[in-house]
Amino acid sequence: MAVFFGQMQWGWDFEGDETVNLETLKRTVAEGLDEARTAETADAVEAVRIKYLGRKGLMPQVMKELKTVAPEERAEVGRLANTFKKELTELLETRKKELSGDAKAIAEPVTFDYTLPGRGPRRGTRHPISTVIEEAVAIFGRMGFTVAEGPDVETPYHNFDALNTPGYHPSLDRQDTFWLDDGRLLRTQTSPVQIRVMESRQPPVRIVTPGRCYRRDTTDATHSANFHQIEGLYVDRDVSLADLKGTLAYFAHEMMGPDVAVRFRPHFFPFTEPSVECDFSCHVCNGAGCRVCKGSGWIEIAGAGMVDPRVFEKVGYDPETTTGYAFGMGIERIAMIRYGIPDIRLLYENDMRFLRQFG
Amino acid sequence: MKLPLSWLREYVDVDASAEEIAERLTFSGTEVEGIEHVGAGCEDVIVGEVRAWEKHPKADRLRLCRVFDGEGELPVVCGADNFDVGDKVALAPVGATLPGGMAIKEAKLRGEISQGMLCAEDELGLSADHAGIMILPADAAVGTPMLDVIGGIETVLELEVTWNRPDCLCVIGMAREVAALYGVALKVPEPTFEEKGKSVDEWTRVDVQDAFDCPRYTARVLTEAKLKPSPVWMRRRLTCCGVRPINNVVDITNYVMLECGHPLHAFDSALLKESRIIVRRAAEGERMATLDDEERALTPEMIVIADAERPVAVAGIMGGAGSEINDTTQTVLLESATFDPARTHRTSVALGLSTESSHRFERTVNRETVEWASRRAAALMTEHCGATVAAGVIDVYGGAAELAPITCRLARLESLLGVSLGRDEVLGILEKLQIPVANADDDIITVAPPGFRPDLKIEADIFEEIARIHGIDEVPAADPMGRVVVDADDARPRAVAACREHLVGLGLSETMNYSFLSEQALDRFGKDADGRRVALLDPVSADHGVMRESLIPQMAESLGRNATHQELDAACFEIGRVFYREQGAICEEERLSIGLMGRQAGLDDTSPEGMFLRIKGLLEELLRVQNAPALELQPDAHPAFEPGWCTAILLGGERVGILGLLTAPIRHHWRIQSPVAMAELRLDTILSQVHDVQSFTDIPVYPSMDRDLALIVDESVCHGDVVRVIESGAPGGLTRVDLFDIFRSEEMGDGRKSMAYSLTYRSAERTLTDEETNRVHAEIMDRLRRELEAEIRER
Repeated sequence: MAVFFGQMQWGWDFEGDETVNLETLKRTVAEGLDEARTAETADAVEAVRIKYLGRKGLMPQVMKELKTVAPEERAEVGRLANTFKKELTELLETRKKELSGDAKAIAEPVTFDYTLPGRGPRRGTRHPISTVIEEAVAIFGRMGFTVAEGPDVETPYHNFDALNTPGYHPSLDRQDTFWLDDGRLLRTQTSPVQIRVMESRQPPVRIVTPGRCYRRDTTDATHSANFHQIEGLYVDRDVSLADLKGTLAYFAHEMMGPDVAVRFRPHFFPFTEPSVECDFSCHVCNGAGCRVCKGSGWIEIAGAGMVDPRVFEKVGYDPETTTGYAFGMGIERIAMIRYGIPDIRLLYENDMRFLRQFG
Repeated sequence: MKLPLSWLREYVDVDASAEEIAERLTFSGTEVEGIEHVGAGCEDVIVGEVRAWEKHPKADRLRLCRVFDGEGELPVVCGADNFDVGDKVALAPVGATLPGGMAIKEAKLRGEISQGMLCAEDELGLSADHAGIMILPADAAVGTPMLDVIGGIETVLELEVTWNRPDCLCVIGMAREVAALYGVALKVPEPTFEEKGKSVDEWTRVDVQDAFDCPRYTARVLTEAKLKPSPVWMRRRLTCCGVRPINNVVDITNYVMLECGHPLHAFDSALLKESRIIVRRAAEGERMATLDDEERALTPEMIVIADAERPVAVAGIMGGAGSEINDTTQTVLLESATFDPARTHRTSVALGLSTESSHRFERTVNRETVEWASRRAAALMTEHCGATVAAGVIDVYGGAAELAPITCRLARLESLLGVSLGRDEVLGILEKLQIPVANADDDIITVAPPGFRPDLKIEADIFEEIARIHGIDEVPAADPMGRVVVDADDARPRAVAACREHLVGLGLSETMNYSFLSEQALDRFGKDADGRRVALLDPVSADHGVMRESLIPQMAESLGRNATHQELDAACFEIGRVFYREQGAICEEERLSIGLMGRQAGLDDTSPEGMFLRIKGLLEELLRVQNAPALELQPDAHPAFEPGWCTAILLGGERVGILGLLTAPIRHHWRIQSPVAMAELRLDTILSQVHDVQSFTDIPVYPSMDRDLALIVDESVCHGDVVRVIESGAPGGLTRVDLFDIFRSEEMGDGRKSMAYSLTYRSAERTLTDEETNRVHAEIMDRLRRELEAEIRER
């Protein structure tokens, strides 16, 4: 019998009439699955079934021949044949359903209301202050600035003295600074972080320092006793004012829009010299003058300058070989201008109707 | 600072318009914040003469006036009482429009007809003065425009003078800037007057106890001064600068201060005991009434001007009421001096008294021109007060301030600015600024800072001068360059950013609160039993008096405020710092808080259990994406949380935060009806591993075996116990334990519950057999029976 079937059927299926082996079986399996997939009629499906699984089909034949298979392959051939039988049965069943139209398990959507609200997860919202900080960090990050952090509770030395602010500078007034009972204070700017970083390492320093600051302002539409700043510091050899201008101009385009121009006015800060103030052209009116820029076409955004050599001396850098620039700006101010938020207090009220407006 | 343009033009010949000058000043370092046209809009106001007045019959505070307008008498009702018959006044007749846009019409005031309005200075936009109506000089021609009398419209620049430029706090100083910008000459008048009679030394004597406190003190004596109002033009300039005119002597001291930046003080010499001046520190406990009629307590930290017996002025800040110029003053002692800036500032702060004078002294006043100011005032007093100047001046002067020469390297200037300037331009700028050049080798220039520029100390100061006059805006912007600092470590800030991103991705909205709040708000969440709170020494208000020691109170308040305006569903987080005292030291720490209220996206279960498990799930997922250790909870207690619904958060065995449901009293404070879940933890505990790289593990290739089991256990047995027992007895092949049902029934009896689990077994090496799976599963069931006294219902 074995020989007979072998001659009749293995002849074209397996090469010659050799006994079953793993390699030939694998080929048979591949062909069988392929035939099942490509069967185009119910009759063709049935023919495939008979050919492989029928009482006189190939698989029962293989099982019978199993004892003739080389011992080292025997187990594997058996397992493969069994898997194949199971898989082919399922496949043929599916194919039969597909061909008979039973596959349309989902009803035709004539009555489905696709305008119903979508379901599922909803992303939360990032606070506009965080968004502005992270975008600013990203913009400066593209130029190689990394973020540095420092404490909110600062020493007067780091907040004032090291920044070349004389002991009787107006900003040292108790009326501007929140003092604590241990002689320390809540930082009035993020500049002390620059001092701390410079104290901790040698140049180059290329950092931005976003963070919370405090001033004894009475809260109103444009003042808040706590607020956020981002400052930047680049210290290296041969850093120039022209570099500072290029850096801030790039920031202006990236943050407020490609048409935004910058201009620089001389100013005074104790820790930079020369010191400048940087205005951005108004992104709302493109400089023509509007309510946002109070008619001037320009919005004051940043204070900046070349680091005062006396600051380098304080942190132990050689002011002869070291140059650098620093800049700083208010996050709330940028956020308010960028999003058209009329009152700074909205940023700290956490009204969901406000927060949900931001991504 | 306010700068009247007509005054400026006395010292510098510049044709440019106010707008042009403003632009040049703004771009050279003195920002012009506004341009005001004082008097504009007053064109309709004329000079009137009060011919008669009587009290309004029906209103005590009103007067019925007859005002002559040059043609006839008009009835005018007026609310002021600072005038009398014969006074010339500013009259807005019917048909006139005032600067504010107010149109004058005939009106009836309490039954009396009024055909015009007598104006106060503030109503005309001339000053902030509303003490009474404006009284014009007696010789003003009735019926003529009021503006002609006061000198027309004055253009006033509002300047922001930076802290380092005390020399700009006066008209001459600004004229020097404008002269430099336009390259024209500065014209400073040379005061001239005649000295007569006794020498000043016979009138008075000056002792300065400490030359550091008072580097220079000059005294001049003027006799026979006749007190009266100062001339209209002078009063006009003072009011344009925001200084209230008092009388001619006082006005002249103020006028000279505004003109040249030296604050002066005039004493009534007759009121000085022994007619002498002592500059000394105040004695302990000494007191003095200042010109503003405040009694001031002085300390030895303060410099005073004293006579033989008592302080008569707080040096450089304010004079005393006891030696004030008054209607009977005849002999004036004129002080022109300088005082230690730092001490003046500290005294001003200590007394809470900031004046035009202190504003200038605390920023440094040029010693060298102290005497010029004295002469200038003396000259004006002879002219406008009819005073006679006693011969000579007392001048206690230790010498000019030492301003060291500064060496500037052109090469360094150019590399700092990033622009090539050239020696000639640099020398040209220095000359325009009146900064003398002592020596100019090829590329090294030595300058000698003039006395009016005490801010020039180092090379960078001179560079700044060059840059601002050259024009900062003229310096080209270089292309922005990238520069990588290889060893910069910003792992933590990046981890915080990642964490924020994860929280938003989990559906939470970020909130932000102040770092301080009220004691009372904190107390609602538990009293400060162990003195951990940090208070501000002088808060703006009690609402912001204490630093936050936890983020929970403000998170609750944020949710609560939303609830009060019908925003009942919210899922929020805040990342922020808290402040507390530990063993006496003030510490700060960054924390994360999460607050959930109402329905959440996709989850409608607002039961206590639903809310608790929701926040727990959020936290578990957050910890997973942060690569942090798995969440462990342990029963805990906290005054803000409901008993039984409060757990400590543990990570890797360490206690890092708290999680639970807010107590009903706290919720009810904001009328929140549904449970509110809240968690707070130390942020750093979930940051350190966020950047860790996960290594790949093989995807399983062999099929899994699923076995369900249901067990009936005592209510006290919790899911965690079951999982622990299951896992303790399982081989490596147990890959999942899923709780899919809990139910209770009468059949099981009180205090019992059924928990149904689906267990998934899988081997990475081979297909598991039924037999071996069953064996392991049976062993797990045995353990559950043994350890939890569970009754197993097999499926």
